Order: sequence, then C-alpha cells, then structure tokens
Amino acid sequence: MDARELATRINARVCPGAVEPGPEVRLVHSADTMSGLIANASPETLLVTSLNNSQLIRVAELMDAPGLCLVGAVEPSPELIAQARASGVAIIVSPHGLEKTRRLLEACLRGVGAVRA
Amino acid sequence: MISMSCRIDGGDFDKGGQATRRLKEQLSRVGVAGPTMRRAMIAAYEAEMNVVIHARTGTLWARLDSTKLDLEVADEGPGIPDLELALREGWSTASAKAREMGFGAGMGLPNIRRNSDLFDIETRIGRGTRIRSTILLSPQMTPSSAIAHPADEEAAGISPERCRKCLRCIFSCPTGALRVHAAGPVLRTGLCVGCTECISACPSAVFGIREPAAEGGNLPAPGEDAVLVVPRAFLASPLAGRSPEHALAALAGLGFSEVRFTEEWSDAMEQEARAAASRCGPVLPLIPPLCPAVTALVESRFPSLIPNLAKLASPLEAAGEEFPLRPVVLLAACPAQSASARGSSLTGRLTVLSPARLSAALHAAQSSATASGSTRRPALRAPRARPEPVEGELTVSGARAVMRALAAAEAGALSGATVLNLRLCEQGCSGSPLVCPDPFLAELGWRRLPRFLDTAPASDAGTVRRSRPYSQRAGMRLDVDMASAIRALGRIDELVRALPGRDCGACGAPACALFAEDVVMGRVESSACPHARLIQEVSR
Repeated sequence: MDARELATRINARVCPGAVEPGPEVRLVHSADTMSGLIANASPETLLVTSLNNSQLIRVAELMDAPGLCLVGAVEPSPELIAQARASGVAIIVSPHGLEKTRRLLEACLRGVGAVRA
Repeated sequence: MISMSCRIDGGDFDKGGQATRRLKEQLSRVGVAGPTMRRAMIAAYEAEMNVVIHARTGTLWARLDSTKLDLEVADEGPGIPDLELALREGWSTASAKAREMGFGAGMGLPNIRRNSDLFDIETRIGRGTRIRSTILLSPQMTPSSAIAHPADEEAAGISPERCRKCLRCIFSCPTGALRVHAAGPVLRTGLCVGCTECISACPSAVFGIREPAAEGGNLPAPGEDAVLVVPRAFLASPLAGRSPEHALAALAGLGFSEVRFTEEWSDAMEQEARAAASRCGPVLPLIPPLCPAVTALVESRFPSLIPNLAKLASPLEAAGEEFPLRPVVLLAACPAQSASARGSSLTGRLTVLSPARLSAALHAAQSSATASGSTRRPALRAPRARPEPVEGELTVSGARAVMRALAAAEAGALSGATVLNLRLCEQGCSGSPLVCPDPFLAELGWRRLPRFLDTAPASDAGTVRRSRPYSQRAGMRLDVDMASAIRALGRIDELVRALPGRDCGACGAPACALFAEDVVMGRVESSACPHARLIQEVSR
C-alpha cells in the first residue's frame, strides 16, 4: 500500500520537508531499540518507533526502508528532517502511541476496510 | 575482489553508521543486493555501533570476492569481561546515553552472529575487541566449500628459469610436493606445506616466498607509528646489516616506532600450551601451532592428529592481532608463515614482507642513517623469563625429526608426551635460510642486544584464539569419489611393481611410487621414466 495513503488512514501526517514516502509498504515493524529495528527492516517495511534521533535515518537508509513512522506526535528536529531528506528517507508522524500505531497500520495492510484511528 | 577500510570514532553517535554506509556504496557498485546486502548491513552496522558505544576508536575492514564477503571490525576499547554473557540476548553494558538513543538492548552481537555464516570474536581486557563475520554469497554454499584451505594458497615463489635440474629439491621436500619437469620445478597443489627445505637445498635460489609486488613494497610512511615483528635472529643476521644496533637505527629511519620479536608470541603460546596440557586436555599430546608449516603438515599428512592441534592462532598471526589499529609489518620467515599471515586478516594495515625485501630496504636506509648520524631506535620489549618445561614436553625441530615425531604420535608411540613443540626449521624461525645464513652466528650477534633490552619493558605478548577450524587438506586424495580413488590406487600399485624402484629422480619425481601416481593421475607420461622405457625397449 502507498505510504501516504497509510498515513492518511491512521490520521498520521507526512513530515513536510522530508522526502515523499516510498511507493509500496507491505510490512510494518515497531521497536524501541535500534537492534530491533535493523533486524526486521526491509525495503518493504515501514519502521515504527518511539525513538527520535539521527541514527534512525541511518538504519532506514542502510536497509532501504520506505520510511520511518515516529509516534506520539513527536516533532522531528530540523536537523533530522534535513538528514532524512539527504538520505532519501520519508518521515511520517503518528499521533498515537507505538503499539496503537502498529496495530492500526497492520490493520490497514491486512485490508481491514475502514480503520478507526 | 574489492576491499575497503574505514575508521570509526568511539563516542561519536553523529558519525555512527558512516563506515557501514560506505560499505553499502561499495557493495552496491558491484551488484550486491537482496538478502546478502541486508545481512551485511546488519552485521556491519551492529559491529560499528559497538565501537561507537564502547570503544575509543576502531576500524571496519571488508573484502568481497566471488564467493563471500568478509567483514572485520577491530577496536581499541575496554574489551569484554565475559564473552559468553555478551553473546546472550539482552545483556549489555551500554551507557545511559546510548540506551536513551535506542542502543544497549543486548542484541548487537547476537544480531551479528545470526546474520553471519562464520562468526568469530576475540577480546582482550584493556586492549580491545575484534569481530569477524563472513557472509557467503550463495545460499547453497557451505562455509567449507567457499573457503579454500589457507595452506593451499601457493606461498612458495618459484623462479624456474634459474633451475639447473640438480633434483636436490625433490629429494628434500618432506611431503613429496615437488617435481622437476623440463620447464623447471612444479609444486603439487595441496601438498606443499610452505617449509624451507627446498629453499635450503637449492643451490640456484630457485625458491623463495611468493610476494605480490603490490603488497610487498608497502613499508610504512614516517610518522605512522608502525610496528615491525621479526624473528630475533633476523636482526643479528648479516641480512639486517652490520650489527643489531645498525639494523635498529635503520628501522627507525624506515618509520618503525616499535620492533617486536616473533619469539614473544611463541613463548606465550608455549606457556599457554603447558597450562592447557596440565589441565588434562582431552587430547594429548597437545601440539601448539608454533610453526604454520607443521600445522599444514598435520592437516595434509597426519589428519588423525588434527584434534591435537591447540586452537590458537600462530605466533605471527597473534602478533598481527596485538596492534589492531596500527600499521604492522610482519616478517615471514618461510612461505607457510607468509601464507598464514596473509590469510589471517583482511585488514589493510597488515603487510607481510619477505626477509629479502626488508633486507634491501634496510641496507638502503642504513646508508642514509650513517650519513645523517642518526641514533634513534625503535622501542623494544624484553623477553619474559622462560619457564621450565613441564613433564612430558617434547621440543623437536627440523623437517625429518618433526616427521618422525608426528609419525610416532600418530602411531600412539608417544604415550607419555603432554606437549609437542614442533618447528620444521632447525631451531625454529632462526633456522630459516631466509632469515639468517647461520642461526648459530645469529645467536652470537644477538647477544649484543640485551643491553638495549635491559631497560625495555617486559613483553606483554599473549595468545589469540584461532578464528578458523583446522581441516584436512585435500592434497593427498586421489579422487573425491572413494570407489574411483580405490581403482586409481590399484593401478598405481600395479605400475609401481613394473617400475625399477630405484627412486633415482630422473623422471622428475622423488620416488617411483610418486611417479606412478603422477602417471595414473594423468599428470605425466610414463615415458618420462628412462628406465621403464629402456626395459620396454629391451623386452621388445
């Protein structure tokens, strides 16, 4: 599913200034550790995390992840956005917590009709 | 093949991951993608971040060939006090800052191991940690099929144009690996153990250490804080100069800030083997891999003794590990040392030199040092006091004597032996004809050095765990299929009976039995034996 559409469905927003989300997301993985994120990242996996630092961009870039989804309506710093733009990584900001964001995204990907965010 | 290295700064989280990113760029350029790229990225990133989190500084090296990707990350850091614990999921000593950033979940090393086909970690408290990871490029490949036996790398350099066909070499070779054909000497792949017997025997200097020109010329640049590791006898040998003092001054001129002796690591290994044997090791006698040629010999001719080999890196390999971030030049005393040191690490900071090449550089440097009147000397370490041999410890040197000792051990005739210290050169590396024309004279010259060593700090050399398992070499096998091998053996026996049995060497093989094997295996025509030809002609 298109990442922008996913974001819209769960009331998340695509961070302006970063790059356009990857065209195809098939999987979602949530973790609050870098090892957890990198071990499960792939070019089709949207990484959902409560972390917020530059190493996230590095992990997404190395693993060709289509984008990052930051949770808790956290505002990424301008440096992070600039780094994401330079590395070609999209950032989505979800208003929900980690678990809820993951659940909602998975529901969207499973094709569960309307998702109540 | 591509190779790269990249420095990693400890504590710099902003730059963390840059080395892995560079690796990705290199791999992408040659078309690595998919699962291999994914596994490489995980292993490299986790290893790199370990350096950032725990160490002062480190380096990532990578080498890619057609079969595998080798990664190595070494650091200067505190080392890991309990390796077993560190390899468990969920155990970490990361700082609060690192944990805040999402690191320190205790998944780094398990992630590296999970994504590696071969994984090895070495750590020394207060020194640092080295992680090696190999990722095979094809999923059908097994680690043993992808990685050639290191001793099969042809380490001996041959200059066939110098050969006068005196045949001394074929009779000197302890493994029957040499043949002399019309074009000059030829080595049977997988049989040469890299000793110096042919080098000693040849009056025409046909044999030496194979030294790729690109690697051999890399002496350190001044100010690089480089370390040279040499056999002690070399400094006292005429090859190094007029005297050890002159040699040391020239080495300082060549950019070496420290000179260490291979014997420091041999002594440490002997000590470790004694301790291991006294702990009633499972297999006795224990054979410490003091000499890589002996190790290759065991792996090819005495495979039943492979379990007796101590799982330690050779002294020269261990010396290379001692300085993870400094340029190190290792002087190989024989082709076997050269092959094992070259194969032991993918780090660009290791240079393996032959004594001849270092000698040439030293003589040039000595002229300029004399002209400038320089008295600078590299730092040295004093050897530690040698402990008394333990009960059942047997020390043997020289190819024939070592062959006899190994044959006796294989036959179970060394029941009282606990440790076998074996070296293929007489008196060890000092006896290598490449290191010193005469080891006894070198010992005499060496006695002048202790006045420098009196004030030097004691050696802190230690042993290093061997990173790859010992394995039998295929050189002796007639065929991978046992039925075919048995048939070939039958034909060889038949032919041996038909040959005169003089073992004269006129055919280029050292024995009629080996000539028969060459004929049956299609390596040579039966007409190469003048006697067989004569017999056939007479019988017609």
